[in-house]
Amino acid sequence: MSKEVMLDCLGEACPVPLVKAEGAIKDLEVGDVLVVQIDHSCAVKNVPEWARKEGHFVDIEEVDDGEWEIIIEKAK
Amino acid sequence: MAREKKIEHYDVVIIGAGAAGLTAAIYCARARLSTIVIEKALVGGLATYTNEIWNYPGFPDMPKGEAITDLMKVQAKNMGAKFKLTEVQSVDLTGEEKIVETFRNKYIAKSVILASGGRPRTTGAKNEENYLFDKGISFCATCDAASNTDKVVVVIGSGDAAIEEGMFLTKFAKKVIVSVMHDEGIMDCNEIAKEAALANPKMEFVWNTVVDSFEGEDHLDTVVLRHLKTNELIPVKCDNCFEFIGYIPNTELIKEQVTLNPQGYILTNDRMETNLEGVFAAGDVRDKWLKQVATAVGDGAIAGYAAEKYIAETEVFECNVARKDKNGAVYVYNAVEAQQRELVTIIEALTSRHGENYHFCKVDVYKSDGIAKKLGRTNYPYVAIIKDGKVDHYIDLISEDNIINALKTS
Repeated sequence: MSKEVMLDCLGEACPVPLVKAEGAIKDLEVGDVLVVQIDHSCAVKNVPEWARKEGHFVDIEEVDDGEWEIIIEKAK
Repeated sequence: MAREKKIEHYDVVIIGAGAAGLTAAIYCARARLSTIVIEKALVGGLATYTNEIWNYPGFPDMPKGEAITDLMKVQAKNMGAKFKLTEVQSVDLTGEEKIVETFRNKYIAKSVILASGGRPRTTGAKNEENYLFDKGISFCATCDAASNTDKVVVVIGSGDAAIEEGMFLTKFAKKVIVSVMHDEGIMDCNEIAKEAALANPKMEFVWNTVVDSFEGEDHLDTVVLRHLKTNELIPVKCDNCFEFIGYIPNTELIKEQVTLNPQGYILTNDRMETNLEGVFAAGDVRDKWLKQVATAVGDGAIAGYAAEKYIAETEVFECNVARKDKNGAVYVYNAVEAQQRELVTIIEALTSRHGENYHFCKVDVYKSDGIAKKLGRTNYPYVAIIKDGKVDHYIDLISEDNIINALKTS
């Protein structure tokens, strides 16, 4: 069964969320979901772009003003 | 197994939430159209890559680009526009129903506004792919400046973005080395930026160079520049590299459907109309002369207004002009012309005499010629004979007899 992992990057500036996300996705299986929580807008640019380039599915939720969850479904 | 996509209907789907898309959303939502904006990353678009915006009217304190676009977003949301932060996977814009698909949703819209902007161009130099994202090559000084405190950075390019962002980086980095492809003293940026950059003690320039390769163990540590005249290779040690060498339009998804220029930008007229009915383009994705927040806002306003007009005219057309249930005639005229105005009485007379059997109406093109375009002719006046919801033929010699005879024989 696929699992969902939360990655708390609140308060972290670029490139920390991206580095952490790269590390976290390595430990997941195909079909698992990684949710990266961020509140630095710069990470809304580079984390989804990196994840899509890797071939994963990405959605973003703006959970609050200036706070986002980047939802990455590992595809390969 | 493929997941079933959720279908949602909107009046307008706007692709891209930069200054153009956000302004279009404000105009559409204010016209009470149900509007959704789809954005694949951060709302605000390219403006969010800029630290100081000096020339957007109304903001004299040089705010960050994001500060301006955040306000646009609030305004669009207040008007009722919806936002979805995900990537568009495919579109079908050729039919009357426009289809925009994302990973989980299928949006069906009456009109689509393409405001997908561009993305940074890369150098194409050797090993570039290996150092993208957090491995040493960046395209956003705003995003990555703080992590370059006391470091040495290389900037590629000499346009406004390269020089202005390069100067911003000098507030953090100990040295900023700029690779310029032109002869010494020649830059593509504005004169003010150029003077300031040449006087900045933390900035160094390597003239007549382009990138040959990127080198480094795991992370970038050397940018190898190539002198354009001597072909000499110049290795430059650095911690990170920023590329500001222009943009390429995000038009891959639509290139088979929408007419583009040879560089891939969307061709529009001054109403932001593309080659497809009901499909408009706005902002940097469009073939245009000056790409600025101010001009993106102008494009967005026009595209939003044009979408509203298109939707309204389509409804009027189907309900009142070219009815499928009743054959008839449409008088198309310009009310500014006295002679054309007088012929309106013919339509009124026909309505009272033959209104039970046929549907008669008149269309004034003074404010908008959208309906005339749908009828297929924009030189006035004329009468279009409608049969089964379609134009059968046109009549130039406008009289009661000619119209009624045409209807009876068609």
